[in-house]
Parts: sequence; C-alpha cells; structure tokens
Amino acid sequence: MNPRIGELTFLEQLAQRYKLPVPEFLSEPVSQSKLKEKLEQWGAGIVKPDVLSGKRGKAGSVIKVEKEHEALKALREVAATEVNGMQPRAAYIVQSVPADLEIYTSIGYNSHSLSPAFTVSLKGGMDVESIADKHKVTVPLNVFQGLNAYQASEALNTLGLTGKLNSRLSMVFVNLWDMFISTGMLSCEVNPWRVTKSGQIFVCDFKATFDENNFKAKDLGLHWPEYPTVETKFESEMNAWAASSHQGQAHVSPLGGKKILPVLFGGGASTIIIETLAQLGGDPIFLSDFGGNPPYERMKKTAAICFDHHLHSCELLLLLGGKANNTLIDETFSAIADALQECVDAKGPVNIPVVVGRGGAHLVQGIEILKKTLDNLRLPHVIFGPDTPITLVAEYAASIVRQGDKQAKGARS
Amino acid sequence: MNTNTLSGLLKKGDRVAVSNVTGRESSKVSIISQQYCSNITAGWALAKGGDVINVHGGRDIPVFGQFEDLMKKLPEKERPNKVIVYSPPEAVYGDVKEVISSGEGTVETIFVITEHVSVEVTAKLKHLCDDAHMDIIGCNTLGMINAHDKVRVGAVGGDAPAESFIPGSATIISNSGNMVNTIASYMQSAGLGISFGISTGKDPLILTPLQELLALANKDKHTRLIILYVEPGGTYERDALEYIQKIKFTKPLLVYVAGAFAEGRNISLGHAGAVVEGACTSSTDKMRLFDAYFGVPAFDPKDEKAARRNIARKKLGIRVTTLHALVPAARLMMDALGISQDFAPVRPLALNPWIVELGQLARKLPKELVLQAGTIPSPYKEIFAQHLKGDLGRTVTRQSMRNASHASSNDGATPRIYGHSLPNLMKRCSFSRAVLLSWLGVHPKHEFEAELFEMCLTASITNGPGSISAQGAKLSASAGNEPNTAIMTTLGAIGIVHGGNGKAAAKFLIKMFRNTGMTDPYDQKKAPDLDKLVHDFVSDYKKRKAAAKETGLGLEKIPCLGHPVFNKDQVNYDPRERVVSQYLDEHKLYNVFIDFYHRLTRELTKQGVTGKSHAVNIDAVLTGVCLGIAWPMLVDRQITMERAYDLPFLTFVLGRVAGGAAEYLDHRESGTDMDMRTPNSDCRMLTRPRD
Repeated sequence: MNPRIGELTFLEQLAQRYKLPVPEFLSEPVSQSKLKEKLEQWGAGIVKPDVLSGKRGKAGSVIKVEKEHEALKALREVAATEVNGMQPRAAYIVQSVPADLEIYTSIGYNSHSLSPAFTVSLKGGMDVESIADKHKVTVPLNVFQGLNAYQASEALNTLGLTGKLNSRLSMVFVNLWDMFISTGMLSCEVNPWRVTKSGQIFVCDFKATFDENNFKAKDLGLHWPEYPTVETKFESEMNAWAASSHQGQAHVSPLGGKKILPVLFGGGASTIIIETLAQLGGDPIFLSDFGGNPPYERMKKTAAICFDHHLHSCELLLLLGGKANNTLIDETFSAIADALQECVDAKGPVNIPVVVGRGGAHLVQGIEILKKTLDNLRLPHVIFGPDTPITLVAEYAASIVRQGDKQAKGARS
Repeated sequence: MNTNTLSGLLKKGDRVAVSNVTGRESSKVSIISQQYCSNITAGWALAKGGDVINVHGGRDIPVFGQFEDLMKKLPEKERPNKVIVYSPPEAVYGDVKEVISSGEGTVETIFVITEHVSVEVTAKLKHLCDDAHMDIIGCNTLGMINAHDKVRVGAVGGDAPAESFIPGSATIISNSGNMVNTIASYMQSAGLGISFGISTGKDPLILTPLQELLALANKDKHTRLIILYVEPGGTYERDALEYIQKIKFTKPLLVYVAGAFAEGRNISLGHAGAVVEGACTSSTDKMRLFDAYFGVPAFDPKDEKAARRNIARKKLGIRVTTLHALVPAARLMMDALGISQDFAPVRPLALNPWIVELGQLARKLPKELVLQAGTIPSPYKEIFAQHLKGDLGRTVTRQSMRNASHASSNDGATPRIYGHSLPNLMKRCSFSRAVLLSWLGVHPKHEFEAELFEMCLTASITNGPGSISAQGAKLSASAGNEPNTAIMTTLGAIGIVHGGNGKAAAKFLIKMFRNTGMTDPYDQKKAPDLDKLVHDFVSDYKKRKAAAKETGLGLEKIPCLGHPVFNKDQVNYDPRERVVSQYLDEHKLYNVFIDFYHRLTRELTKQGVTGKSHAVNIDAVLTGVCLGIAWPMLVDRQITMERAYDLPFLTFVLGRVAGGAAEYLDHRESGTDMDMRTPNSDCRMLTRPRD
C-alpha cells in the first residue's frame, strides 16, 4: 500500500524542512494554558481531525474556536468523530488564517503527458473536479528539471494573478516541487493555500501519497503516522505477508462478502472474475491476485492465510485464473493443495464444493496434484481447463452458492 | 513513437537482448521464446558474464556481464535492436541508461517487464528514451507477439505461444498480460486469429499509450479488428478516442472495460495503475466514452439482431459487458462488417468441465448445475491419458529445495524424519524401519518388510575381499587415508554393473508390471499371469537377440541375472537370494517380483536363449524386496517412479558402506602401508618404449 499522510504529519515533519509557510499549530497532548496563550495570540483557531478521508469529506468535522474551553471540547469531539467511516488518529488545532484568496495546487504524475504535472487554480477550497477547466492550469513538467519559478509564475499569470503575490507564490511552489520529488511522492495536494490581506501565504490543508516503490520514500526517515483502521486480522496478516516479498502477487482487497472464497490469479482476470461474482450474487469474500508465478513457499503461505481465516466459514472455494503466461500451475496447485490439507488437518474437516479453472504450463500435473488432495478430503469438485471462459466458471460458482441460499431459505420457511 | 508500424515494434529478424537473463523467470521465459522463435541473440546479467543458457532444441543464449560488453563482443549482425528488461526494480533505471548509452543507433525498442518500478523512474525512462529516439513499452508489460511472423518478446503466450496465437486478423491491446493470452484463445471460437498481441502493462504510467498503439494498428495490413481490454485509471482511452476521431481511423474496435464493480468502494484492484483519479479515469467513464464513440449501446447477447444492425450502421465497433461475450460479439462484427474468418471456429465457448466429482452434493443441486464431464481437448487429453490413467507414481513436481526438506526438519527442539520425532524413533523402532521411513515418508506397512529389508542390508555388506568396492576400501586404507576417504573410495567403486544394477532392474520390473493392473505384489492369487508375461518377454527378447546378432548391434542385457562367482552349475543360485527366498517360503509369504525373476531364468533356458539357468542375483532380490514395499505406494501415487528406481541401489550402497568400513578397519589394523601396490613386474606393458 502506498503510504499516505495528512496535514498534521506535514506540519510536524515536512513543512519546515522544505520551507513551506504554515500557520502555527498545536497537537495533542495540549494543555489548557497553552491553548489559552495561543488562542489569545491567534484570535481564533481551527480544530481538525487527522484522518485520511480522501476527498474534502472532513469539512464537517472542522470546528472554529476562540476560547480555550471550546477548543478543548472540540478537540475531544473531533478526535472521537468518524469521518466518512474512518476514525481520526488525533485532533489538532491550527491558527485561523483569514484570507481573501484561496489557491489550489497539486503535483502528480499525468497519464496524458507521461510526466509529472503541476496544477494550480485560484478557486481553492473546493474539490478540483468541481473547478471549471478555464479556472485551472496544468503544466507538464520535465521530470529531471522539475517546476521552476518561471513556469509557476506563467501559470498564475494565465489565471490572472500578477505582481508581488505572483512572485512570492511562485517561489513557494518551487519548494513544494522540491518536497514532492525529493521524498518520492506520487501526488501531493495543497487545498487551499490561504493568502492574507497583508500578502502572507499559508498552506492550510495538505495531503500526499508516497510511492511505495520509490526508494526515497522508503528511506525518508519520516515517522509514518499510524491511522486507526478497521482492518481485520486477516487483512493485516495478508498485507504484511504481501509486503514481505515481491516474488509473486499476494494481493487481497476485502469485499465484505461471506460465501465464495476466491483464490484468483492475474490482475486482469481477478478483476473480471470478481466483477462477475459480484454481479451474480456470488458474494465473494475478497478480491485476490495470487498470480505472477509465486514460488511454492510463497503460494503455500498465501493460501494458508486465506484458508486459516476463511475456509471453515465460506460456502465455496474458487480457484480460478486465465491461461497463465508465466505461472507454473503444478507448483501453485501443489502449494494450495498442501495448504488445504494442512488447514483441514489442523482445524477439522470441511464440506464445501471446490470449483477450479486454470490454464498454463504444467496444467495437467497441477490438476492431478490438486485432485488428489480434493479426493483425500472428500471435497466435491468441478475442474475446468482454459477452454472454458473464466467468466462462465465464475457464473457457475455463483449459481452454486445462490442455490445454497435458496435451499437455506426453503428450510427456514 | 519512433516506429510507424506495429511490426516496427516486433518482427521476424529482430535481434533481442535480455537483461538479468539468468533470473528465475527471465531464463525460463527466454528458453521458451528461443524454442518458439529463436530471436534472442544474447543476454546480460551482473557477475554472470561467460555463462551460457542452454536451450534444448534451440539456439543457446550467451550471457555477458554488462550490456556494453554485449554490444562490443557480439558480431554486428547479432547486436540487438530490441531489448527486454527483466532487472529487479532498483536496477531498471541503470540498465535502461546503459542500453541507451551503448545501444544508441542500434536499439529501437525497450520492453520493461519488471514490476514495482517507481513512477518517478518510469517517467524518467520515458524522457530518456524520447531523447534517444527509442520506443519503450511498459513498465510491467508482459511483452508482445507478432503471430504472422511467429516471434515474441516477453512471456506472451506462456509456454505454448503457438497454441493461442494462430495468425489472423485481430490485434489485441490489453492492460492485462494474462488477458492477451486468454482473449486470443477465446477468439479461436470465433474463427478469428491474431495479428499482434500487446500487453501495455498497467502501472500508473503506461509509456506506450493506447492512442499510439491504435495509430500503429490502423496501418497494420493484417489487422482488420482491434480488441481492447481496458481497466480503470489514466486518461488513455479518452485521449485515444479524441485522437482517432481526428485521423482517418478505419479499424473497428471490440472493447471490454473491467472494474466498474469497484467504484465507490475502497478496493484496490490487482494492477497498480488501476486507480480512479479524476475525470475519465473510472470504468464507467471509460464505458461511456466508448459507447459515445461507437454510437451504439453495449452488446446485448439476447438481442444479437439489434447489435448486428447497430454495428453495420456505424461500423466503428461495440463494447461488451462480460468477457465471454467477446466471442459472439466478434462473430457479429465479422459478419456485419464483412470480415472473413481466419479459420473454421474451434469448439464454441461453453462450460466444459474436465473433471466432475460432486458426490453427495449432486443430489442437492438442480439438474442444470450437475454438470457431466466434457471433452478434454488436445493436447491436454493426451497428457491426462498419460498422467491420470493406467500409470504409476506421483508426477514429479519441482520447487526450490534450497534450505527446505520434506525428509527432515528441526524446529530447534526435535529433529524429525517426515514429521516423526527422531527421539521417539530411537526408542521404538529398528534401524531398518527408520531407514524405510526416511526413504518413503511412511513406516513399512508389514513387519516382514522391515525384516526382509534388513536381510537385504546384511546381504549387501560384503561379497568377499575381491569385490571391487571392498578393494576400494582396502586401497584407501593402504594409502593411509582416514575412514571417510575409505568409505568414499568404496562408494566410488560401486557402479551400475557392481551393486547398482538394481536401478536397471527396478525400471525393467516396473515396465513389465505397470500395465498389469496389479495392486498387491504379495498376493499370489491376484498376481498377473507370470508364465504368459515371461513367455511373451522371452519370445520377444529372443527375436531381438537374433536380429541384433545379424546386424552386429548390441542388445541390452536383462538386469540382475547371473553372477561372476555363482555361475558354475547348470542351474545357478546366489546364496544370498536363497536366504530371502527361503524366508518367504517359511513364512508363507509371496513376492511377485522375485517369483518373476525365477520364472524368467527358467524360460530363458527353456526357449534356448541361454545355455544354462543364471542365478537370480542379489541385486534382483534387493529390487524385488524394495519394489514389494514401494509398489502399493506407486499404485496410490504417493511416490514418484524416480524414487522407486533408486531404492534398490541405495539399499546396496547402505549395506556396502558397512562392508567398506569393515575392510578399512581390518586393513588399517593388520595391513602394511602401501601393501595394495602391485609390483611393476606383475603389470603388463601394452605400449613399447618410444625413446
């Protein structure tokens, strides 16, 4: 997973390093006396949650305060209030910056120019998708040279901002680029920059995503914030396992389903299969991609984690992928078969149907190994080859679990 | 792009170099590519310069230490114009820079197969390649294939590219490597072959965007239809559709957009770049864009007439909503747009289960879900026939066994043999039983098996000081060596004609019995008709012997018959074999393999193949005993044939180690240094002095 940060981490760890102007702030634990002192100095403060809410969804949890007791109350409330279903890590208070002008900027990689790109708008404070094209400018950047002050100034000029402010903003935008490129970010967004009447500039909200594949982000020396998650034990175990090696995929993304345990292969195939299952009421537990020719040990542990958490509660085991280009089917199937046998040995028998569909090198040997284990465990099974489309196999699996639903409903009535 | 045709990206005659060519995946893929199209002229891998990747049935791949070295040392006509990068993510930037620096003017296209390359590096690669006028595809592409020229780069088509990619009229451009292969296979059901299959990769930046590939496909003379597999993320499709509407684009598109189900949910799809960020990047946005371009609604399999009408009217193509609908939609498009079939369609796409074993569940399911096993197509049918029916032994499966073992383990507290505690084995079982456990993974089924096995070990200890393995130990002792060296010398003096003939015997016996259906080698009543078996074999052997004599060619010997010592009588016996046979008789036991050997010697004499009955030697007995134990495990496919072949030889070796040790101890105690040396006077001089 690409690491993400919000404004608080930026304020605490990055802003000063890259000379980006920010308002004063206090984060918990904060004493009443300190709050009193700062609020008297600031006039007012804004209490915010430190939460990765994606879009500007946290606006409802932002509270303006003037007195220290209001601030204390707001800090408690905001820290305890979920934003878009996500629990904040903490609450913090920043100096209120009254402004006439709010500016939006972002830097990210652009699939049109195939390079980094800088986007700026003078209509900050709203989602970028809501800003009309004529009010924003995107400048493709040379990845080696980055954003220079002249480019930034030209962009602001295009939007009608000239004079000293143009010059000052251009300089800090260059600092923003420096931070982006030297920390291995995938994207960063400041929304908004606030400009006071006296022309002071402040970053007033920030979010960034780092590229997990970029060594700069790995060696940044940042203390990565740990956000509360609703991650299940299965997810945390699987995510840690996935991150432990790049040999073969071990990707899962939970879907909240309960019936089909899908052990899938291939980034594209897994997407299509899950789409089919979801459309047809197959109720898959997660989306998975275990392709990429995992070695035996990798595949076995991956399968073992899936089975340990879900085999005894699911209604159908689906092993499905397209016609593999790289993956050795005997190696992956023998690993899955061994994990299946060990799970049953450890946790007791199961009685669920197993639907299999696969193609690729050493397919027959793989089927033979898998079938032996399925026979040993007396699991009913249907095995398809690459001549049956994966979507038809997924449809068939979904039909079986739907049939189970009907029977359960019939039994209840 | 620098090229203006798809074949400019890949064609017959291209010379390909592969980075990190000795890696686990790259070497495997390169060997298959070489067997398919032989277009790899060399590879390079750090610290592996001078290596060679051997290609069975194809041109070997020389390995250089660096790309620069490769360019300098390869003859000009073999210098690569295509490069495949299989380097680890952190090495990709350096390797591509090296290719650009040393390959300028020669290298035209770089395919970056590597996954997990950072987006910053990806953008830098694009910049560098643009400056160097090289095309770059990836990162995380699976490669591409040119079916008409029968060439590929990367792993497109897996281990049997020719199976999926029959030359034809469709070009596949796909965000998923697997889907290139899968869709190509599906299209055979529409009678549609492939011109090019291209995996674009689906990292956040796709360095060969769709619009550029469509422009090239538009010019390809073989391509009459373009199939797209699309995932969310990026504005490539919007850019492509805007672009093709500005040029004279004539090729119809058949499109499948995946991933709509994930919208509005916090789900990450399998590919790193399948992320919705901004307008026109979601699956539904992309569907909308394609539908708007086609000017017709998505393909509805229930109303093919309307779809055909729509396609014929607009002639631009259609989008399908499920992957398998690509086939009927392709058929309709071909029909509506006058695109002829490339070949007669193969089987229709339908559920075709290869194996159905529903058991009790079948009673609970409605009829339509209780499938009957269908027809397994070639070549799988033949492989199944070989593997699943009428054969013995588990299939060999391969994995890296470095630091891994089924045979032994030690969790820091208890050493184990196949999971069985060694301390417990020390307390409760004999050495023979423990050895059988360690060789077969399970305890012997019958107590007499361990006893017979022990007799075999004892029989193998010695056959006197003149046997060459005993001589080995004595020679070593005489030279003043330590015990381990003496044992190695004993083992070094064992070979397939001394002690190791059991391996040939195991192969011979398995060949004789594998098709008999026999399950229990100890059950005389259910044994196959041995008289017929030996009669048929000896008759055939006699004919082959006569033919061999006539032609002067040698004939393979029947293993384990006769002995250099026990050969004086008309009917000969090996005393060690006699002990085992008597044990069997006394205990009213039967071993079909030993019985077979006795009958064989008699039949050979009876049919006049040999003048006297040879002894059934100790190797035959070892083989009979070992196969008796292993046979049910072969039938039950618990062990491989390879393991069964090795058991008798290993039995002899284990016993003879003790015998070698005995000779060493004796010789060290009583012999004199160098006493095994033969005086020159006893040696014959076969070459006269020349100076």
